Amino acid sequence: MSGSAHTAGHAAGYTPHGHGDHGHTIVPIITLRLVLASLLFFTVLTVFLSRGEAWLSNFLNFDIPQWVNVVIALSIATVKTAIVVLYFMQLKYDNPLNAMIFIFTLLTVAFFLGFTMIDLGNRQTIDRFKGVSISPGGTGLRGDGPITVRAQEFARLEGHHAHHHAAEHVERGGLTTAGFRTPVPEIGSSPQYARPVRGLTLPGLAPAPTSDVSGGHSANGH
Amino acid sequence: MATIDLGKHGGGNGGLPGHDHHGADDLSRPYHERYHAAHHFEDREHEFDAVKMGVWLFLATEILLFSGMFCAYAIFRLMYPEAFVNGSHHLDWRWGLLNTVILLMSSYWVAAAVRHAQTNNQKWLQINVFLTFLAGLAFLIIKFVFEYAKKYKEGLLPGKFYSFGGDATAHEPLWWAIYWGATGIHASHVIVGMGLFVWVWLRSRRGHFGPGHYNAVEGVGLYWHIVDIVWIFLFPMLYLIH
Repeated sequence: MSGSAHTAGHAAGYTPHGHGDHGHTIVPIITLRLVLASLLFFTVLTVFLSRGEAWLSNFLNFDIPQWVNVVIALSIATVKTAIVVLYFMQLKYDNPLNAMIFIFTLLTVAFFLGFTMIDLGNRQTIDRFKGVSISPGGTGLRGDGPITVRAQEFARLEGHHAHHHAAEHVERGGLTTAGFRTPVPEIGSSPQYARPVRGLTLPGLAPAPTSDVSGGHSANGH
Repeated sequence: MATIDLGKHGGGNGGLPGHDHHGADDLSRPYHERYHAAHHFEDREHEFDAVKMGVWLFLATEILLFSGMFCAYAIFRLMYPEAFVNGSHHLDWRWGLLNTVILLMSSYWVAAAVRHAQTNNQKWLQINVFLTFLAGLAFLIIKFVFEYAKKYKEGLLPGKFYSFGGDATAHEPLWWAIYWGATGIHASHVIVGMGLFVWVWLRSRRGHFGPGHYNAVEGVGLYWHIVDIVWIFLFPMLYLIH
């Protein structure tokens, strides 16, 4: 399906002027076919490795850690992408400006994914202050119902809890009248830690601190 | 390696006809040889570079669009790995493999189509563009008839439409939201690409493309390659989880 026999003649026919800057590369048909062959090879390779991993796990009870499989699969996909971009999309022969557009897009994606992963990995540090942890669910189909209902229920329980264990909270350096779901480490109180407890609690969700709960002082960051 | 130079063919004088050394306005010559760059371009070379850069800028937005889905995938897979493993077991990797091979073949055909335009091989230009269209059609038939229809019957649908009763783990509906979202947006890109290939094919039959002018073949081809690249990632991420 090539018609590569007479290409040289035609190509030569269209290079009479030769500006001196750049011409349009005609990628040889053999290059395109080798690229296709290597893409098919890498596809078979990734399926083979995935099936092999499943086989090892099912029949030999040997489990390769999931992150290893993910890294291998994504590495193969990245190699395939590089081949497509360089040869099929001709970035290798193209105006470098287009390659720069592509590379800057990849950098943007890297920032986007990277910062999201940093956020995901550090959720625990802010969940403490928000008072409501991320709970399983979110689909509205299973779990304890919509997150708003759970938040109200949680606030009610926490208020109850705080009422009975207020002394304990103060002893541990507890920071809020609502209390925490997880034990608070012995870090003492400070304005930074105390402020978000109230700031991030939606009005109406948490009961107002009662006068007999001495933890109310610490919430203001003494 | 062979190169061609569009520079002084057509245009070259601000698009005014009749001053070209190559008889660009002789109507007996094919369209792609008579073609003038649009009047706001110096010549065809200038137009080609601008068009191609425009396509690349558009592809940058496409990459960002799909990276949003990959980001959602990463978040929910890290949070609920079991749901993703169990959800993925509903998919048949063999259909995914077949569709991957089909898209890779089509990428080759469209890359070869650009080459056939550059070398003025009109017959194989038309055949390759048509083959690419057929590959897109085959991809969609496999996707809809053998995959989507089955999931639809089983109630393995996104969001509130989810009605499957036999999940092994909680949060599997999240997996199906990601699956339908990612493959659905990808499939809609395939449909758009097929429409573009019909346009390129009709124009190629009229002799619009040749060594001096093949912007549309090149641009639609680049778009098609990005659609292929997205599937290169979706295939292992959706079908090959264990």
